[in-house]
Amino acid sequence: MIRQTNFQVAFAHLSSRVKQSLVAMLSVTFGISMYIFMNGFMTGVNDVQNELAFSALAHVRIYRDLPKDRSNLLASKYDEEATLINIRNPKTIQYTTGIRNANEVIDAIDHLPEITDIATQVNLNVFFRNGSAKINGLTAGVNANDEEALFGISESVIEGSWFDLNHRSDGIIMGVGLAKKLSLNLNDNVQVSTADGVTRNFEIIGILETTMAGVDDMKAFIQINAARQLISKNRSYATDIQVNVADFEAASAVAAKMRSLTDLKVESWIESNGQLDAGNELRNIIALAVSFTILLVAGFGIYNIMNMTVNEKIKEIAILKAMGFEGSDIVQIFLVQSIIIGIIGGIIGMLFGAAVSVVINQVPFQVASLETLPMSYRAKDYVAAFGFGLITTFVAGYLPAKKASKVDPVTIIRG
Amino acid sequence: MENQIALKVSNIDKFFYEPSKFQVLKDINFDVKKGEFLSLVGKSGSGKSTLLYVLSTMDTDYSGSLEINGKTLTGSTQNELAKFRNANIGFVFQFHYLLPDFSTLDNVMLPALKLRKKSKEEIREMAYENLKLLGIEDQAKKSANKLSGGQQQRVAIARALINEPAIIMGDEPTGNLDSKNTQTVFDIFQQLSEERGQTIIAVTHDDEFAKNTDRILELSDGSML
Repeated sequence: MIRQTNFQVAFAHLSSRVKQSLVAMLSVTFGISMYIFMNGFMTGVNDVQNELAFSALAHVRIYRDLPKDRSNLLASKYDEEATLINIRNPKTIQYTTGIRNANEVIDAIDHLPEITDIATQVNLNVFFRNGSAKINGLTAGVNANDEEALFGISESVIEGSWFDLNHRSDGIIMGVGLAKKLSLNLNDNVQVSTADGVTRNFEIIGILETTMAGVDDMKAFIQINAARQLISKNRSYATDIQVNVADFEAASAVAAKMRSLTDLKVESWIESNGQLDAGNELRNIIALAVSFTILLVAGFGIYNIMNMTVNEKIKEIAILKAMGFEGSDIVQIFLVQSIIIGIIGGIIGMLFGAAVSVVINQVPFQVASLETLPMSYRAKDYVAAFGFGLITTFVAGYLPAKKASKVDPVTIIRG
Repeated sequence: MENQIALKVSNIDKFFYEPSKFQVLKDINFDVKKGEFLSLVGKSGSGKSTLLYVLSTMDTDYSGSLEINGKTLTGSTQNELAKFRNANIGFVFQFHYLLPDFSTLDNVMLPALKLRKKSKEEIREMAYENLKLLGIEDQAKKSANKLSGGQQQRVAIARALINEPAIIMGDEPTGNLDSKNTQTVFDIFQQLSEERGQTIIAVTHDDEFAKNTDRILELSDGSML
């Protein structure tokens, strides 16, 4: 319970030293606004990074792993130590590629509540030909609607329409770089040849620009059944099953659950793209480290100013104690001052931090798909900044207040 | 009432340890009656101020026992002593020690606001009365550091009186004042002791001041004469 009289003394101290109080407030304001700005910016960067990454990457990918090295088929039959084995010119025997019955796999995992979207793909290495131009690339046989649900790919289509793929079994949607290299435009024809020598004509019904060279210069999309046809596979065949989950950060846990449901290889984005996750984590650490350093500096500022106040008011503290103010009263008087500084500085800091964020968010930054510097505005950053700011001022104010409460009135008054 | 004991000290010894061990108070024993106006005199270094701070309860580093209003204070905690001082002891120092950020009136009210026995309105009224008693009610709204030395000392007395303490203690309360103001302060103390029955203990080296008080206690080298 803070006594009213102590409030009165605290206010008198604050109002008698407006300048110093303002400086202390400014240091809190600065600390909190930088905390908000740094975290907003880093989160914004992370969000953009994730958005970019997940426009081509599913949270979990299910596929059949290549078989192990089986060049020595006799190894399991004979004791390797004692027997010398020599197989001349070994050939790999036939093995399964791809997922023969994708529907079965989907049925097996579909009931997991974390899963939001599933898309099957047939990915092929092919040659694209137009006249004498011949380019090695990738063709993905997809279901247009599922693909849209996972990756929002229709946004990247700059000519034609993504959803035409639903009803055009002879249609192909091609990356902008790939089309350029082949000198192709919308509605032109292109020849697609598989490794096994099957060739088929497709008509370009869309051009795609994702800003990712790996897609734009290499990749084309066709109907999944057209792709199955190209490699003479059954209707349920797929090379990949792509799965999105509700919370991408929990992808590994969901992947682990799926592993028990299928013997195919299940890989979460964190395993296949560890650098993405590491980048996010590192940026968060940098943001935290920088903002805590700034708050710490702000804390020292308050500590310094409160210490000066205590030294300046030491006679008054002695006289208050002589009049019967207890140690806890003195602590309150000085703590109230620093907390008032913290609250006012914190509120201004939140407003200032929001203002700085808005301004930085307007700075042009035309790289990849960005227009301006990214920024996120999360309420929890503001709450955390204010909370940490208050804790800092509390600690920074408590030490001088404690010192003030220990003043021995006799020594001060007697001089 | 005349014969009630306001303050009783027995066998008080006190040592200073810096720079070397030195006995500053030697076996002090005396009583002060209620309403008595007492002066403590002695040369510099005789221990009179030291004794006053022991009596004030602010200095607890002594042996012996101190009793005020029948309550033994030796051995109480700092917080208990602070509460006790607030309610029972008023101080007037050589330098007024008002709080410069407060108005005269607020300075006078502060100990009572801390005590919280009365409403703010009652306290304000009492503070005005005290200022009137000391002839400075017209300065009530002024900032404390804008008053003259004599006025400030009177404000300090008004503040010392606000909780109607059992004892008012003064450490050279007139040490910093000219003879006219010294006389004023003395008259006020006398008036308080005679009319209100306030017990007053003042350390002074002003012989004129001491001579007119009810009783003089003289200290020499830490012993009572």
